[in-house]
Amino acid sequence: MKTFKKIFATSLLFFLLTSLTSDEGDRIIGLWEPSNGKARIKIEKIGSKYYGKIVWLKEPLDAATNAPKLDKNNPDESMRNVPLKGYRMLKDFIYNEKNEWKEGTIYDPESGSLYSCVINMKDENTLDIRGYIGVKALGRTDVWKRLMVNKK
Amino acid sequence: MRYFFLLCLFWFQNSDSFAQQDSIVEDFSEYDNVTYTDTKSKVFCNPKILDLIPQRFVSVAFDAQLPHTLSVSEIGKYSTSLKEGDINEKAELNYVGGLRLFANIPVISKNSIVWQVGLNYWDVNYQVKDRTKNGAVSNSSIDEIQKGLTTAGLHSTLYKPLNEKQFILLQVSADLNGNYSIANPQSLNYLRYSAALLWGKRPSDRKQWAIGISRTYRVGEMNYIPVFMFNWTSSSRKWGTEILFPARAHVRKKFNPSNLMLIGYELEGQSYRLNGLSDQNRSLELRRGELRLRTEFQKKLFGFIWGSLQLGYRHNYSYKADYLDDGNDFYRGFFGKREYAMINNLTGAMYFQIGIHLVSP
Repeated sequence: MKTFKKIFATSLLFFLLTSLTSDEGDRIIGLWEPSNGKARIKIEKIGSKYYGKIVWLKEPLDAATNAPKLDKNNPDESMRNVPLKGYRMLKDFIYNEKNEWKEGTIYDPESGSLYSCVINMKDENTLDIRGYIGVKALGRTDVWKRLMVNKK
Repeated sequence: MRYFFLLCLFWFQNSDSFAQQDSIVEDFSEYDNVTYTDTKSKVFCNPKILDLIPQRFVSVAFDAQLPHTLSVSEIGKYSTSLKEGDINEKAELNYVGGLRLFANIPVISKNSIVWQVGLNYWDVNYQVKDRTKNGAVSNSSIDEIQKGLTTAGLHSTLYKPLNEKQFILLQVSADLNGNYSIANPQSLNYLRYSAALLWGKRPSDRKQWAIGISRTYRVGEMNYIPVFMFNWTSSSRKWGTEILFPARAHVRKKFNPSNLMLIGYELEGQSYRLNGLSDQNRSLELRRGELRLRTEFQKKLFGFIWGSLQLGYRHNYSYKADYLDDGNDFYRGFFGKREYAMINNLTGAMYFQIGIHLVSP
């Protein structure tokens, strides 16, 4: 039983420390809009990493089918019936304490392409999101703005 | 035991293993009604439309024209096209072609501005099967062409969106063309400059058009011509056009996101200095311009690596030559009367080009 107590105490300390050091990274949590205004992305934290899912689409219906848009450009055929609304297009970001969330990926549903991605917070309401291939120089930066949900 | 359960609870709380799944069905309607916490970001139109062929960052290709005939005149003064009596030398060419390298790196790539700078290198080698001469030929231009034609250049593209719908596109390039080798390059005094400036609109994700003016060597000699861009993708996203008239125009067929085909044409040309027939006061420049009618297949190989195969017919538009005083170029246009120094001819030829490319996000 003493061994369990020691493990529990050590684990508790570890998780508390992890929680405290990751608070700064939590500034990214919230609702964001890419510069083209076509979607709204909710960034949340799952475990120690940050993810962003599509929660709103300017044009939610597929013009051809008049049904909710699906991830039909995904190179993985098994994913092509997954609805875009709710789709996690930002994945696996880790905060590195330099105002930067990195080691993540961004998915472009319009092309079905997945890119490496790094996020910089310019100010508390503005993100520079850079998708790239291989090295950061081979990429493109988009500016996202923070949104606030109006209470009903 | 309860410590064990508590540990498990902590593990689940911090685990990433459920990152792709939501256990709760979310009500997305709450995100319909929002306000900006700061200011809304200014919306700029994207440089691309849906399903355009992928833009290339780095490209390595091999281009080969199949057998055809080259006929050249003596150096002199000519105002008309080549007549049988003017032919001084003929060469049966087994193959004309070589390596084409291209790199295009984004210096700035943001939604408010895109600026790219790149390098290109083209090698055109001539393999002669048979040559016939009309009497004694001094200063043979075929000897000069057989040394191979090289193009090495810098290019830059600036895309500036003005707002959600309008944009400006500026392209400039400087090329050093001639029968020089990289080990022994010709002087930068013989750089040839091209440019295009366009203003356009992007009314939707499936259409963009622009009009403008260009200074171009695509017909062999320097010319100023209006240009018209029209890129369009059908609502089914299976068909489209990629047009920058008159430089190139293609119909695009998308089989799936990893396989597509283009059918159309491209004008290719440059003004090449033949160094052995030039001196410090006069530069003999071969005005090579050709029309390439072609089909191109593009296939995603893996990741951002694409392959391409081009098959087509090369029609000769110009293979004449001009003497340029002090190497300074001049404008003849389509209707100028200035005489040519040589009037040569190339018969048409089938050609192919195979390439591998690192493409842009």
